[in-house]
Amino acid sequence: MVKKVIAREKLPELWAHLSAEGLLILPIQDGPVVLFQPWYAGADVRLDAVNSAVSPKDIFLPREETYLHYRCSGQQLELSAVKSEEPVTAFGLHPCDMKALEMLDRVFMDQDPPDSLYQKRRERTTLVALSCDKPDPFCFCNDFAVDPTDAPGADVMACLSGNSLRLEARTDQGKAMLERAGGLLGDDSGESVELKEVVTADFGLKLEGLPEDLKNRFDDPAWDELYKSCLGCGVCTYVCPTCYCFDVEDYGHAAEGERFRCWDSCMYGHFTKMAGGHNPRPERKERVRQRFMHKLQYYPETYGEIACVGCGRCLRSCPVNLDIVRVIKALGGEKVEQR
Amino acid sequence: MTGDNPYIPYTATVEETWFETGGERSIKTFKVVLDDETVRENWSHRPGQCAMIGVLGVGESMISISCSPTEGRFLRFSVMRMGKVTQALHQLEPGDKMMVRGPYGSSFPVDDWHGKQILTIGGGVGQAPLRPIVEYVRANRDQYAGLTMIYGARTSGDLCFKGEFEEMSKCDDLACHLTIDVEEDDWSHNVGFVPQMLLDLNPSPENTIVITCGPPIMIRFVLENLKKLGFADEQIYTTLENRMKCGIGKCGRCNVGGMYVCKDGPVFSYAVLKDIPEAFA
Repeated sequence: MVKKVIAREKLPELWAHLSAEGLLILPIQDGPVVLFQPWYAGADVRLDAVNSAVSPKDIFLPREETYLHYRCSGQQLELSAVKSEEPVTAFGLHPCDMKALEMLDRVFMDQDPPDSLYQKRRERTTLVALSCDKPDPFCFCNDFAVDPTDAPGADVMACLSGNSLRLEARTDQGKAMLERAGGLLGDDSGESVELKEVVTADFGLKLEGLPEDLKNRFDDPAWDELYKSCLGCGVCTYVCPTCYCFDVEDYGHAAEGERFRCWDSCMYGHFTKMAGGHNPRPERKERVRQRFMHKLQYYPETYGEIACVGCGRCLRSCPVNLDIVRVIKALGGEKVEQR
Repeated sequence: MTGDNPYIPYTATVEETWFETGGERSIKTFKVVLDDETVRENWSHRPGQCAMIGVLGVGESMISISCSPTEGRFLRFSVMRMGKVTQALHQLEPGDKMMVRGPYGSSFPVDDWHGKQILTIGGGVGQAPLRPIVEYVRANRDQYAGLTMIYGARTSGDLCFKGEFEEMSKCDDLACHLTIDVEEDDWSHNVGFVPQMLLDLNPSPENTIVITCGPPIMIRFVLENLKKLGFADEQIYTTLENRMKCGIGKCGRCNVGGMYVCKDGPVFSYAVLKDIPEAFA
């Protein structure tokens, strides 16, 4: 197993090296928030930060991406698929976001046909996961069997240790990446770091049996109350690492233009509104229910686990605190104290 | 087709067009042929499946393929002029290009229905997904015990595929029952709503499969009446119609319960559909 180490003050050299190899995306301070962004010289890289404001899902499912250009003159029609071959290094994804990626993979890669736009990005990306030892009060990944210190699926597992960053290759792709950065990295001959168990917030959730239970709670009176505070802003869906709804639109005119897809949200009224005016989810109640039923019942029914990783982003972002913890509790997913 | 990207459409050429109905929400039928020979040869759809069709610069809509594969190496779409994309589609004339990708979704299990009586109950443009069944059964007549069609619309001018029914009514083993909502001069068929006509005809559930497509209100009463007539859930099939963008179960738009209408539908047995929340929302 290849293990390397680098002093934290030398990290900018590693960033420069990796970004010369392709696109390097990592958590960067951007005004008041930390976001996963392409690295630039002088960027304030925040490996020490808790979760980025928005999940790093956009590395694989960009907020918008053009996938088709067309040009038409007379009877001549030219279609060209947009292709990108640039290798990507995604650096610093926490285990919760890595787990969410596994959930997106099932939808975008395991289901036939695979989404080739997503799949190709995944294939050309080297994933460097970063263990997380300072969860904030909103983090509750322990509830979803996520180990904050370890991420299955990573090409390289990294952890901050004192004044250095330790890197351990987990796949051939990760090993090759570390080898190419050879001159910048020292051999890590030290003991494996015994990471202390990281305990995240205990909101008293009881998740066992919840998906099964919710099957019969589509018309639960709880929905009649829950949705009332929702503003329909959709921020939950944008920051969430397991939300993936998108829209497809054309931009251009008859002679020339492009087709692109962009993030969309089931919290918006137009999402399901049909041309004739009919809308199967006409009110916020139906939309709120859809979002949470998808996470807590529909997704688990298909894939066997709840589509939440406890990253806490909806708790930090929702302006009316209509986060998943509140919803789970309202639907009976709360531990009852035994006295 | 460019590479393996499932979102890149095929180009097709419109060969023929005609109007099925008039008015503001007119229905226009397009007979189109895929341009690339290999694509054309490899294309295989089953009755009930859909395709994403569109116009570059405007967008795509999921439209049911209204012809049976038994009819030839072309596709037919009957499109109601409704929103942005369907209005652009209506501008297309013979020789114009249409973008097509698919086929998508589940199909009517027509080959599992061998030996059975087939009853289709359609309303308005809902006859479009039923037409491939009718054509498929006609092309394989000896495989089915019989075919009965009930089809209605508001007025005679709102009935699709009218010319074809004249021809069909000449067939001995094919019963074609047409109905319109209100009396018209020179109308020799039934007057009344489709669900009532179903009750009046009183078909036996014995060895019968019934498929119904049409406006939600019609479906609701047809289902009620089928139950009255003693049809079991497993004998009833219908299709759902939701807004769609990707067509391959990713974009989330047509999610009903744990299913996606584009991928797991549009064809559903009522035995499955009755337990899906929001299926009839």
